[in-house]
Amino acid sequence: MNWFAEIYKRVIGIAVVVVIATFLLSCLMWLLPGDPAELLNPSAPEGAIDSIRKEIGLDRGVFGYYWHWLSNLLTGNFGKYYLGGGEREVSEVVFRTLPVSMQMILYAQIVSLSLAIPLGLVSAYKENSRFDRIVSTTLFTMVSFPGFALALILSLVFAVQLGWVDPIGYVAPSEDLFQHLKLMILPVVSLAVGLTSSYTRLLRTDVIATLKEDYVTMAASKGISNRRVLWKHVFRPSSTTILTSAALNMGGLIGGTIIIETIFVIPGIGYEIFYAIGSRQIIAMQTLIALVAFAYVFFNSTVDILTQIIDPRTRERRV
Amino acid sequence: MSDVQQTVEVLPKLSSTKKKKPVGFYLSATWIGTVVFLAVFGWLLPTRPWDSADYDALGVKPFSPNHPLGTTGDGYDMLSGLVNGAKISIFVALVGVIIGGSIGTFIGVTSAYYRGMYDRVVTMIFNVMLSIPNLVLSLALLSVLAYSDENNPTTTSRRVGVLMLSLTIVVVPILGRIGRASALQWAGREFVLASKSMGTSNASIIIRHILPNVAPAILAIGFLAVGSLIIVEGSLAVLGIGVPGGASWGSMLANGRGNIAYSPHEVYMPAMAIALTVISCNWFGDYVRRALDKRESKI
Repeated sequence: MNWFAEIYKRVIGIAVVVVIATFLLSCLMWLLPGDPAELLNPSAPEGAIDSIRKEIGLDRGVFGYYWHWLSNLLTGNFGKYYLGGGEREVSEVVFRTLPVSMQMILYAQIVSLSLAIPLGLVSAYKENSRFDRIVSTTLFTMVSFPGFALALILSLVFAVQLGWVDPIGYVAPSEDLFQHLKLMILPVVSLAVGLTSSYTRLLRTDVIATLKEDYVTMAASKGISNRRVLWKHVFRPSSTTILTSAALNMGGLIGGTIIIETIFVIPGIGYEIFYAIGSRQIIAMQTLIALVAFAYVFFNSTVDILTQIIDPRTRERRV
Repeated sequence: MSDVQQTVEVLPKLSSTKKKKPVGFYLSATWIGTVVFLAVFGWLLPTRPWDSADYDALGVKPFSPNHPLGTTGDGYDMLSGLVNGAKISIFVALVGVIIGGSIGTFIGVTSAYYRGMYDRVVTMIFNVMLSIPNLVLSLALLSVLAYSDENNPTTTSRRVGVLMLSLTIVVVPILGRIGRASALQWAGREFVLASKSMGTSNASIIIRHILPNVAPAILAIGFLAVGSLIIVEGSLAVLGIGVPGGASWGSMLANGRGNIAYSPHEVYMPAMAIALTVISCNWFGDYVRRALDKRESKI
């Protein structure tokens, strides 16, 4: 019943945010010095530039241009790259690069969650013990360690000096699974370190609060083993925060992979965004950033609804 | 019997108020102090000029007598580079946080106080700005506003200016959201209502009653924001569109990447400088937050 109203409201919210964000972005394009159409393909002859201008709607003013782009996007026409000889389709690039980035993000999430959940539970259970203090301090230091510095130092030590893995490159899992995983180690570790730290800290805080609840004392006094109490009675209500954060990171990470993908030369969507911005492919840039913004807002809203399902208490609080 | 023991074990100890030695606080404060000192007075120190090469010492390893931290493959002294880089890296981040934070706090606090349509529009704008990852946003702003090619070259100072502008824009919604959320808690309190009923003007209520209460949260997040802006500056430089020519830490790092195989200190020295500064900022911010929390809990 009011689920539909809730979802409907969310969808409208998502649409409004994405539309405003991309509109402002397309306004930014008009600030470029010179003719945007000429920047798209500086080596094109005069007539070709005119047709480019017509094709992307640059001759229709700020709003006409934006509407042209938006209506194209909504009907599945993602636009083109105009640089480098052939005109590549943006949709083709998205289909090629998005899975690569998603693989990397998924690995990073799996690695960091599978480290963070036991670490967070144990350090909360042993709050203020030596173990807890060492874990907390280490993680707090790690979370502030810049990802690109870590990536560069990792590739310096493990790829250049020790020669255990190749410093750059990407192989699809269907081609050579072993090589694929081997090449993914360094980028995934660079991404996962920061994530692990923030997840562990979140879970620790949450579990400490949950352990003080009456029903935990009740469960323990019934003689349920500590392990079972921790996993069944403490972890589930405490998992909402960490899941929220994990899902929120999905959107943010797509943008955050730019630097990692550039350092390790991985053909993912982050690298494509960087290329599109760097070479002023305004159509490709708007489309790619719109996708990232959409992903971010989408995960954001979905998480809100999902947490209400996982933890019914938040649902009641809202009503 | 064993059941009772388990009960005791599963309950966390209540002695969580135990005092901690603030070693981390002193370490981070010392490091931040040193970096800020170098950024401000670095040009007075008798180091070599950072932008002229010593052709007799190309790619010298660290700890050599003439070049304490070694040189780059092109003969630039690392120590003077780091001292000089502190200036731009710190300056850019501080300016971004101070200006962006002030704007964000102002907008956030006023929107929480006045509510209504203004608040809804502000929240929407913050959401829009936050929906684009901050690296992407500053990348787009930089590439448009500091556009350069053979026909219109940009100067370094223009690039630094645009960099500061885009970092400022990135900070506004982050601190604005914190300011708004924090101000919302205070705007409904009794003393605000009392003040209102006594006929105090809105501006004076905001400045004298709400801002002092919001300030701790803003201050703590502000330190974190300085750290993340240093990271963004470094990332932009690594992507090749930040400050050019090794004038900032990120820029040194970007220049050193090419020589990573035979003189790795070119990479790890600026990387460590960035990392230590960011870690110190976060630690310092965390201590500030904890100290202010304590004060609040005593009241």
